[in-house]
Amino acid sequence: MSQATLEIRAISGHAGSVPGAGVKRELEVCKLIDTTTCIGCKACEVACLEWNGLTFSETTFQNSYQTMPETAWNYWNLIKFNEHERDDGSLMLLMRKDQCMHCEEPGCLAACPADGAIVQYANGIVDFQQDRCIGCGYCITGCPFNIPKFSPQARKVFKCTLCADRVTQGLEPACIKSCPTGCLHFGTKAEMKELADHRATQLREHSGFAKAGVYDPSGVGGTHVIYVLHDASDPEVYGGLPADPHVPWTVQLWKKPLKWLGNLAIVAGVAGVFIHYLRYGPKTVPEDLQGGKP
Amino acid sequence: MTNGWIDIKNTDMMLIMGGNPAENHPCGFKWAIEAKRNRNAKMIVVDPRFTRTAATADLFLQIRAGADIAFLGGLVNYAIQNNRLAKEYLLNYTNASFLVKEGFQLPENGLYSGFDPATQTYDKSTWNYQEGGNMAGKAAPIDRPAATAAPAPAVLPPNVAYDLALEHPRCVFQLLKKQYARYTPETVERITGIPKDQFLKAADLFTSIRKDGDTKKVASVIYAVGWTQHTVGTQIIRTAAILQLMLGNVGRAGGGVNALRGHSNIQGATDMAGVFDLLPGYLKMPRPEDTDLAAYLKRVTPTVSKPGPWDSFSYWSNTPKFAVSLLKALYGPAATKQDDWAFHYLPKIDRQYSWTQLWDRMYRGEVKGLLSFGMNGVMIGPDTKKNIAALKKAEWLVVGELYPDETSEFWRAPGTTTEQMRQIQTTVYRLPCAGFAEKDGSFTNSARWLQWKNAALPPPGDARLDQDILAQIFLRVRDLYKKEGGKFPDPILNAAWSYTDPQHPSLSEVTKEINGKALADLKDEKTGQEIKTGQQLPGFAWLKDDGTTAAGNWIYCGAWTEAGPQLARRGTEDPSGLGIYPNWAWSWPANRRVLYNRASCDVEGKPWDPSRKQVWWNEAAGRWVGNDVPDFKADSPPKDHMGPFIMNPEGVGRIFAPLAAFAEGPFPEHYEPMESPVKNPLHPNQSNNPVVKKFTTAEDVYGTVEQGFTVICTTYRLTEHYHYWTKHNPMNVETVPEPFVEISADMAKDYGIEGGETIKVTSARGTYIAKAFVTRRIKAMLIDGKKMHQIGIPIHWGYRGIAEDAGKTANTPANLLTPTVIDPNAFTPEFKGFLVKVEKA
Amino acid sequence: MSTPHLLPNGRVLRYSFHERLVHWMAGISYVYLLLTGLAFWSPWLFWIAAALGGAAVSSQLHPWAGLVFVLAVVRMYQLWGAQMKKTPADKAWLEAMPHYVRNEDESMPSVDRFNPGQKILFWGFWWCGLLLLLSGIILWFTDAIPWSLRFLRYFAVIVHPVAALLTIGLFIIHVYMGTAAERGAFGSVVRGDVSRAWAKRHHQSWYESIVGESSAKK
Repeated sequence: MSQATLEIRAISGHAGSVPGAGVKRELEVCKLIDTTTCIGCKACEVACLEWNGLTFSETTFQNSYQTMPETAWNYWNLIKFNEHERDDGSLMLLMRKDQCMHCEEPGCLAACPADGAIVQYANGIVDFQQDRCIGCGYCITGCPFNIPKFSPQARKVFKCTLCADRVTQGLEPACIKSCPTGCLHFGTKAEMKELADHRATQLREHSGFAKAGVYDPSGVGGTHVIYVLHDASDPEVYGGLPADPHVPWTVQLWKKPLKWLGNLAIVAGVAGVFIHYLRYGPKTVPEDLQGGKP
Repeated sequence: MTNGWIDIKNTDMMLIMGGNPAENHPCGFKWAIEAKRNRNAKMIVVDPRFTRTAATADLFLQIRAGADIAFLGGLVNYAIQNNRLAKEYLLNYTNASFLVKEGFQLPENGLYSGFDPATQTYDKSTWNYQEGGNMAGKAAPIDRPAATAAPAPAVLPPNVAYDLALEHPRCVFQLLKKQYARYTPETVERITGIPKDQFLKAADLFTSIRKDGDTKKVASVIYAVGWTQHTVGTQIIRTAAILQLMLGNVGRAGGGVNALRGHSNIQGATDMAGVFDLLPGYLKMPRPEDTDLAAYLKRVTPTVSKPGPWDSFSYWSNTPKFAVSLLKALYGPAATKQDDWAFHYLPKIDRQYSWTQLWDRMYRGEVKGLLSFGMNGVMIGPDTKKNIAALKKAEWLVVGELYPDETSEFWRAPGTTTEQMRQIQTTVYRLPCAGFAEKDGSFTNSARWLQWKNAALPPPGDARLDQDILAQIFLRVRDLYKKEGGKFPDPILNAAWSYTDPQHPSLSEVTKEINGKALADLKDEKTGQEIKTGQQLPGFAWLKDDGTTAAGNWIYCGAWTEAGPQLARRGTEDPSGLGIYPNWAWSWPANRRVLYNRASCDVEGKPWDPSRKQVWWNEAAGRWVGNDVPDFKADSPPKDHMGPFIMNPEGVGRIFAPLAAFAEGPFPEHYEPMESPVKNPLHPNQSNNPVVKKFTTAEDVYGTVEQGFTVICTTYRLTEHYHYWTKHNPMNVETVPEPFVEISADMAKDYGIEGGETIKVTSARGTYIAKAFVTRRIKAMLIDGKKMHQIGIPIHWGYRGIAEDAGKTANTPANLLTPTVIDPNAFTPEFKGFLVKVEKA
Repeated sequence: MSTPHLLPNGRVLRYSFHERLVHWMAGISYVYLLLTGLAFWSPWLFWIAAALGGAAVSSQLHPWAGLVFVLAVVRMYQLWGAQMKKTPADKAWLEAMPHYVRNEDESMPSVDRFNPGQKILFWGFWWCGLLLLLSGIILWFTDAIPWSLRFLRYFAVIVHPVAALLTIGLFIIHVYMGTAAERGAFGSVVRGDVSRAWAKRHHQSWYESIVGESSAKK
């Protein structure tokens, strides 16, 4: 999408101001994934492939219904299957649609050095601009959800766009459109939070899931993809959904204090030697000076 | 389905068994989720494997494949013992109060009365109601037939004896109680492998809708081929029907016995007589003894059989109208009254022609050629080896398909040597056909809706529409008959073929022909409504047996009327909020969405649950009215006590299915699968279905535990694939690339098998090799006290597909393993529950 | 090392052709690494990447330049590692550092071929180079690091810039010393020779050893 829009809240690797930094959009978008009604049919996976024109990749059987171990540069939407035994011995087949979480404070964007390769729109969508991507892969490190994936062929990184192209046209993302059970919803963050809370309450009160809850992790400022989980106290069992995701502390350290410290040090260094020269001048060899030849 | 997909959202309780809708009907499963989300409905899933449906269930029970009747019988017993019954419904809307003939015996030894071991058939004359009146308080026995009495023609008595107190020892209810008293939780555990406490939990939950006399709540039973594909498949469904009648769930929104059809138009195929013993609209196929139309009609038209004070609509009494209208549609002007409406043109079947039997005859060399359209015969039938051998014996084979499939390339099945290929003499013609998106026409879905669709794009290349191919064959055969005559050319020469373009019949014309039209001016005397000659009929109530109407399928009459294609309607109004959508498409019969919906009201004609009002009696108007089309005689007042099950001559639901309704007996009895790891714990001496259809060629072998086949195996389908053709589609292949065998972690430990390791599964008929999928979703089980393993094999792979064509693999079909043995009612093979052994490859 | 020796023209060969080549191999690759690295370090310097052919090219070539640099450093280690070893005399020199800073070189103790400042520079580049190599490989093949080993990436993203900043500090001093501050030093790494006086003033022990050696040869 064009960066000409003023509704860009954050731009990666960007010097100077951001056009939409102050824009407060009333309707921030959000995808709700109700894992308790997901049936693992993979319609969302295929819809994602089709809408985004992703290429076929060969897979192999991995002792699971899961299409592949994790999302790929050409497979942005993957349902993770996990057999989980509850304390009472009963089995659960957990199915969680994994894709970009569209963090409010995106680690990928923070880590990205390329000007404009990652943008965050005012509606909350974090979108990669492949024409500006330099293929450095820092976003991979910045992401606490293991989402951006490098394409060795394209030498660029790809991930779910939350179908930003569809959303700007007033359509829901392709995965939402394809979901047969209605376990996927799309709307404003406020609406989705309300719906999710309602469902979680229902699960607690009527379905015997005492710990049912909503996953909207505060460690990344909340996400624009939220989950209803049977057991919100243990998201790790859903194929490694991090319990308390943060942008890695080293990325934060690097991008904030170290950057300023480093800049200061470099400037100080250059200034230091300059001042030294002004004060003391060059080291000379007296004999050579007399001889006129260094 | 008695109900429909959307209607599932109205339920309070679901028993999903013999089906895996989340994986195989994901779009329809939406409504089950809606019920959970909006009504806090509970879902019980009973399956040999913990499926993706089970993942959303409130309660999952792992059952041994083939033990379904034991489980359902246990539920029947539990409901009776705990008084979880819909009493008013049971009494008034079922035959619970009917008395059964003396001499009828329950199968305590595994056999009902009348069994002849020599022929393996039943004399069903005792499987009948007792003639008489009100027998309340009267002592049994009555009218014991003399042992020497000559067998009377078996018909239902017009004046059935009954006891509304349900206490008479020979009343259906008491017999039912006695029959299923044997299905105790302990017995259920022994047979099904479901621990008693879990069974009781499920039984309590399912029947909780009738706790404390509640009549408002509704439960739905949802199934698919996991029930039908057994040697007792029909009887499994019968047990569910009995359970639903006892609980008063049939005819009600959110209730019913709901068959989930596996193809977009399998319901349409059945409706249009894609079954050998039926004519369109479920009219019975004539037999050789039906020497003329009158004889045929006498045999197939039921007569009313009910308690004296009650009324019965017995809608099948209109059979002559449906039959004559069908003959007029088939043979047009050639069907005249003088010529017995050309009844003698219809083939008379002297034997069974079910799929398996047909291929068996081909294997025996009796069937010389096969036209195979819309199916991949090698893959779909049981015992692939036998089916391939059958095709080798055929002289010719015509396959109409989208992809080069295993059937048209049967000669190169894995393991066939070049020398063997040279010996095959079958001539194969492969015709490129159009895909579903390249054709218009209609699909009839599981909810009985006829939905018109438009072609999205023309068929590519040389591909042709199926109807064009069939038209070519028909027209050329007719020309041959014209030129050369033949033994009996009349049915071919006189078959109606009045399409605008005979070479390319348009499906809209065909559909209009199926709907039917007036052949003379018609007038309804009551309403004064008139229909002119040549006009489309508005509904089957207009059909006549005097040759003034033609209809290709009476139940589809109303689908394409003078008002236009009703089946193409797209109205999204749902005034009742019950998901009836009366203006969306068209539902047979008469656009009714829930069958037998009269039963959604009490005897007075008031809905059991006022929040789910489907139809009701309007006293002022003197009519049945409602949100749905009443499935009833519209002006029959409640005081007349007409039964809501208008298609039965009794007018009520059949808990006891009399006479020839079913091959095995009036009540279902648990019989072991053909290949079973145990002797039937109920009656070890009669372990299998006594009237099962087995086959006798050299290929038809059945394995036993003694031969080392100790593992129970079931086949199934995955959500990622559709039968055998998505292996040609990259995205499906990407989502599940390879065949596998699902085995339990317990079994993997016992056998030393790792996940992903290649294993060999062998049955008495063949060997299947694939990777092991080790999962905790299947567990070892105790059957009759013995530890047993159960495995599952998805069926989707063969020797043509993306990977196969790239030379990467050539997979053997899963049906190499399955036995050729069929249900005697529906002729469905036993794909679910047979024996294998498992080894590391 | 027997390379340094008195030249016929009376000057002293300080760096052989081979040494100079290696030095500039390191130097040029380092400058490229520094510039491209800086481009990715700060959005305000991202234009450098554009000037060098675009950020995508820069990010693709940066690791290869890193390999060239590492190879050069390894070769330097082979050439100079032994001479860079800490000696007891270093301590006195370091204590006298303030004199050095004030250009009072005559007050400095006599040193061998490399003074302790140069040794610090060398070992600084050596160890930082090692860290840059390790972290750089991780960053180069970021996509190949499995999620379970993601801590490696977290380690790399902080170690790489920290190590780079340390080398930048060394680099600034080195370049200053080599060009502006120390007359004759730049020539030594370009032409290879220095005057006897230069050698004597800055590396007296070294000078004396050469003179001793050559007279011994004679």
